[in-house]
Amino acid sequence: MIKDTWKFQPFTEEPIRLIDEEGNWIADFPLDLSEETLKKLYRDMVRGRLLDERYQIILRQGKTSFVAPSSGHEATQAGMAQAIRPGFDWLFPYYRDKTLLAAIGYPVEMLYAQMMATRLDPNKGRQMPEHPGLKELNVYTVASPIASHVPPAVGAAISMKIQGTGQVVLTTFGDGATSEGDWHAALNFAGAQGAPIVFAAENNRYAISVNFEKQSGSPRIADKAHAYGFPGYHVDGMDVLASYYVAREAVERARAGLGPSLVEFLVYRYGPHSSADDDRVYRSREEVEFWRKKDPIPRFERFLEKRGLWTPEEGERLREAIKAELLEAEAKAEAAGEVPPEWMFDDVYATPYWLLEEQKQILLSEL
Amino acid sequence: MAVLNIVQAVKRALDEEMARDERVVVLGEDVGKRGGVFLATEGLYQKYGPDRVIDTPLAEAAIIGAAVGMAAHGLRPVAEIQFADYVFPGFDQLVSQGAKLRYRSGGQFAAPMVVRMPSGGGVKGGHHHSQSPEAYFTHTAGLKVVVPSTPTDTLGLLKTAIRDDDPVVFMEPKRLYRAIKEEVPDEEFTIPLGKAKVRREGTDLTLIAYGGPTVEAMQAAEELEKVGVSAEVVDLRSLVPWDKEAVLESVAKTGRALVIAEAPRTSSFASEVAATIMEELLDQLLAPVYRVTGFDTPYPYVPDRQYMPTVTRILNFAKKALDY
Ligand SMILES: Cc1ncc(C[n+]2csc(CCOP(=O)(O)OP(=O)(O)O)c2C)c(N)n1
Ligand SMILES: [Mg+2]
Repeated sequence: MIKDTWKFQPFTEEPIRLIDEEGNWIADFPLDLSEETLKKLYRDMVRGRLLDERYQIILRQGKTSFVAPSSGHEATQAGMAQAIRPGFDWLFPYYRDKTLLAAIGYPVEMLYAQMMATRLDPNKGRQMPEHPGLKELNVYTVASPIASHVPPAVGAAISMKIQGTGQVVLTTFGDGATSEGDWHAALNFAGAQGAPIVFAAENNRYAISVNFEKQSGSPRIADKAHAYGFPGYHVDGMDVLASYYVAREAVERARAGLGPSLVEFLVYRYGPHSSADDDRVYRSREEVEFWRKKDPIPRFERFLEKRGLWTPEEGERLREAIKAELLEAEAKAEAAGEVPPEWMFDDVYATPYWLLEEQKQILLSEL
Repeated sequence: MAVLNIVQAVKRALDEEMARDERVVVLGEDVGKRGGVFLATEGLYQKYGPDRVIDTPLAEAAIIGAAVGMAAHGLRPVAEIQFADYVFPGFDQLVSQGAKLRYRSGGQFAAPMVVRMPSGGGVKGGHHHSQSPEAYFTHTAGLKVVVPSTPTDTLGLLKTAIRDDDPVVFMEPKRLYRAIKEEVPDEEFTIPLGKAKVRREGTDLTLIAYGGPTVEAMQAAEELEKVGVSAEVVDLRSLVPWDKEAVLESVAKTGRALVIAEAPRTSSFASEVAATIMEELLDQLLAPVYRVTGFDTPYPYVPDRQYMPTVTRILNFAKKALDY
């Protein structure tokens, strides 16, 4: 669908916002979302937050070895999830995307199974926690090397263009990723090809301890799209509706054959970089508190409340229901049992190789 | 039967596979109208168009990385890296993304792709146009590595590599591109990966080689014959998977082996083969297994030929093995 008017201007100095801190709709166009969609966005955010909190608990219980906290990123991720067609479009995510994955329908028990490396993980427990992937939903398995999934994301988008499938790629990454050479090589190629892809930067202003001022001399990540010949949008990523609408427009543009977009979502991570990090050494508690007050979930609650779509009691009931769902999923994942060690020799190649058969025998003799 | 050189064999393999399977696409620097700097893709752009013969930006990470994503999404990309020496900007994409995609996703995703690269020296290119970087790739689980030495093998192996469901690094010995011509069957054929070829039979000594130095190994065998030594030449053709059985069978017969390769010796694939022979055949060996390789220096501009295992070097090591 080619439209002659688009809602959003690229390369704005100020972030695009559609609801203010008090929850007022401040856009210059009418809201066109059903109550159902608004409630789904809310539910996805809360579900992502609670999942993040549960991961901290299974970490303390020793059921997992690593967590990448995502609290603070929920509005961006729930908004993006709503903008794509899950199972049709392809997603090339990074390790901080649990809200996004849960929102597109990645079964939560499989997310847990990946965290705990049990047999229910379709990735067979091959990677450290927070590295999910699910072919059924076109979710490309997360890899640790920062930005390394971005060139493959572009390749998939070029394939979609060549084959005329009408699909779109959404790929996410952090602010730090935008400094990697492969990131630039990928965006440059996508621009030259006019590939149907949306590049989504979840800019939480830190790459572990390195703040964005040290990451780049550029004030905004969005601006970098200019050099590659496509629009870059600078968005308040703690505003779920801004996140959704801008992502939707970027996806529509890609689907219409207008090529890539870069969307920079300004977010904040409330937790440390990971369970192996101590963020107290590089950022003040005042700073964290300042951003806590801008929490995307209460902000959207204020918006919904003004429209009669939310009460504290309803919110509480939703939380209780989600907690029960998560506990059930966790139990299911755990019950699947550990991945056996000899699985390590599978999936190196499509067909057997004598060398690996020999080495498997070495392992089996040790068990 | 048509007479083909190695470049023409590459071109024919690509053409046949593109005609057979429309998922096969070619991408790389100058592969389009120019037909590649070695002309290995000549005419393909005109025949298959810009969607299937893609001129890419000058960025190997983009070329290899995009190939991984294309493959994951259902295409069968064949990426050309202009010289093997320029694969390094794309190294991470091959090693972290392509090689491990099947494994890290538990077999859900795969990267059936080929990365072709002209490799090896002897073309007066200095160290940045002459290296043999296969060991970086044989050291990486999940990649297959193929190094042909004749036009027939190039044709048959490249076609198999394109049909293979895993990422294959296909290293073409560029000094042989136009140096060897041979009759190649007109009808379609493929050659399986992981099967070595006995190029010449012998009883006293096995010369194990692959790629460019297979030529010097054959010449050395002829020289040895003149002095009454019967040398067998085994061309590995494929390093991952490699044909241990064929190698052991030959060395069990001769009792002596040289492993010959252009790449530097330290941590080389030649070392892997030599170590395996010694582990498995120690009591049948009449001499140590020697590695006859390039030197552990960067590849020099001068002397361009003496860096590589020359016939003289092979004969000197053969004497050592025979006199042991
Ligand atoms: C190539 C590479 N270098 C370094 C690391 C170690 N590392 C893991 S996460 C990270 C910071 C990433 O920051 P950013 O891209 O902003 O994402 P965020 O974690 O903030 O969401 C680093 C340096 C890595 N995984 N890969
Ligand atoms: Mg960051």
